[in-house]
Amino acid sequence: MDLLASAIRIGTPLLLAALGGLLSERAGVFAVGLEGMMLAGAFAGLFGAWATGSAAVGLLCAMLGGGVIGVLVAVVAVRSRADNMVTGLSANIVALGATGMLLRLLSQRGGASGGEAMHWVPLAAWSPPGLGRLPVLGPLFVQPPLTWLGLGGCVALTWFLRHSAIGLTLRAAGESPAAALAAGADPRRVRERAVVAGAMVAGLGGAVLSLQQVGSFTEGMTGGRGYLALAALIVGRWTPFGAALACLMFGGAEALELHLEAAGVGINPYLLQMTPYLAALTVLVLVGPSAQMPAAIGRSYANDETR
Amino acid sequence: MDGGRLGVSGAGSVLQTLGARLGLAALLSGLTAVLLVVLSGHDPVAAVQALAAGAFGTRSLIGAGLDRSTPYLLAGVGVALCFRAGIINIGAEGQIAVGGLGATAAALGAPVGSPVAAITLALIAGALAGAAWSGLAALLHLVRGVHEVLATLLLNFVALLLVQLLLAGPLGQAGAGFLQSPRFPPSARLPRLPLLDVHLGFPLAVLAAAGGTVLLWRTRLGFGLRVLGASRSAARYAGFRPPVLTMLVMLLAGALAGLAGAIEILGLHRRLVEGFSNGFGFRAVTVALLGLLEPVLVVPAALFVGFMEAGALSMQREVGVPTAMVTVLEGLTVLYVLAATSRRGLR
Repeated sequence: MDLLASAIRIGTPLLLAALGGLLSERAGVFAVGLEGMMLAGAFAGLFGAWATGSAAVGLLCAMLGGGVIGVLVAVVAVRSRADNMVTGLSANIVALGATGMLLRLLSQRGGASGGEAMHWVPLAAWSPPGLGRLPVLGPLFVQPPLTWLGLGGCVALTWFLRHSAIGLTLRAAGESPAAALAAGADPRRVRERAVVAGAMVAGLGGAVLSLQQVGSFTEGMTGGRGYLALAALIVGRWTPFGAALACLMFGGAEALELHLEAAGVGINPYLLQMTPYLAALTVLVLVGPSAQMPAAIGRSYANDETR
Repeated sequence: MDGGRLGVSGAGSVLQTLGARLGLAALLSGLTAVLLVVLSGHDPVAAVQALAAGAFGTRSLIGAGLDRSTPYLLAGVGVALCFRAGIINIGAEGQIAVGGLGATAAALGAPVGSPVAAITLALIAGALAGAAWSGLAALLHLVRGVHEVLATLLLNFVALLLVQLLLAGPLGQAGAGFLQSPRFPPSARLPRLPLLDVHLGFPLAVLAAAGGTVLLWRTRLGFGLRVLGASRSAARYAGFRPPVLTMLVMLLAGALAGLAGAIEILGLHRRLVEGFSNGFGFRAVTVALLGLLEPVLVVPAALFVGFMEAGALSMQREVGVPTAMVTVLEGLTVLYVLAATSRRGLR
């Protein structure tokens, strides 16, 4: 149970990022930029919380930080119709450089001591009244707030994609932009908005790392989690709960790693660190290609393409 | 092709040429650089002076810049060929790391007295290791439909950890305090050229770039790659087998990246060190795109990025502008170039 509880905790940043990526990919834009969106969110979230002392402001800043990277991707990949993959990758590098640069500037400001730069007391766990004290299952319900947010996000996103009018338009933009256009929507605008909205959610995923798990920011602290989230949403077949399951699996791989390390089991630590990536690759190999991939994903679209 | 979409209205006719678009991208990059320096609270003129002095100040600094450009050039040529074929290979970082690993295994494991033999052996080992790594990604892609971007990206992380794993184990120097291998025997060190103060890897890389252009424009394989990039069905119609082309170009790119890793290790570090390939993967993509996916043009692109980074170190030391600024600039420049070239058809 302990292991499962920590798998959920560790899977949370992946889950939020994957949900953000879902918005983008279901609208037809590959979400390779998740890594950068998370990183920007992690930095901005910590900065906001540290500067104001309010976690809520921090979360708002995290969404803005992720959103900035989302705007970059939206402009270049959707408006200019550049290759989604390379655009996302470049946006990741911009985020890596920008957060590194800001961190260094902040610690320069911090004075000669080199700067006890930004820090934050990690968000405390919370459980619905009563549930936390259940026998056996109890520990599962004692989770930090952003983990609850991620689970709520799953439900909300599932409903949004299936039953709301905007969700339907969003999916149309990803499956058949021409059909979306015929129905009176502007596919490019839908995609731009979906990318930016997804980026804001992915920014929250980054904030999980900085505000909920660590309490500080280090350069490149996402360490490939954005790519794992991308793998999770593919493995989860572009559905929120499928992605959640995949995140739980990748989180479980890391949780297992930590448990074994703490237990002093003599497995090579580098081999253990490899497990999430190897798990992602293995699962991708096992599930193979999917017909559920949004049909028009990665394909640029201009409203005047028929001209 | 209206200029309005670029956000510059009324200049449609000027912006119709690729050259003008790229010029605009370059201008934007320059402005971004100045803006970044000013935003970080420093004097742009002093920053540029420090950057130029750090990049070109002395003969040995120029040599250092050329050294730095070498792996970007080699790996960038491979990435350019892959992109031409429509295969987004972002695995250069891992392929470089594994190439360094292969070269190390050869240099330490099979000590040969003759420098020519030792270096040739180590370079070949690096290239083979890199090709094996990219071949693995291509296999996952071709056999199980794993998207090549994810396959190459995830394998990057595995490769970096693999280097650490082996440095902590059989290849490592016990008691060094760092993850590093013992020093290579003198016979396995890449010689430096007398005139330019650069290691032998640089002329090799320029040769590879020239070879890449010949391959792309003068051979049947190159024709196949270009057709494949334009349309998969056209390639099939022209009698090519797309999976075979994909595998071949991935192996070639992996070999070039592996060679880059071997050269970096044999020419600069003279031992395998942890993280020596960090960030190289994206630089390879950067120089490939800045070189417009034309192998010979990757030469000036790689030189530009290499000297820029060499200069940035002294800029941070002298003026205090963080080196991370160059990373931001690289990322944004690629985005500008992508936006400028996209509707012209990148491939």
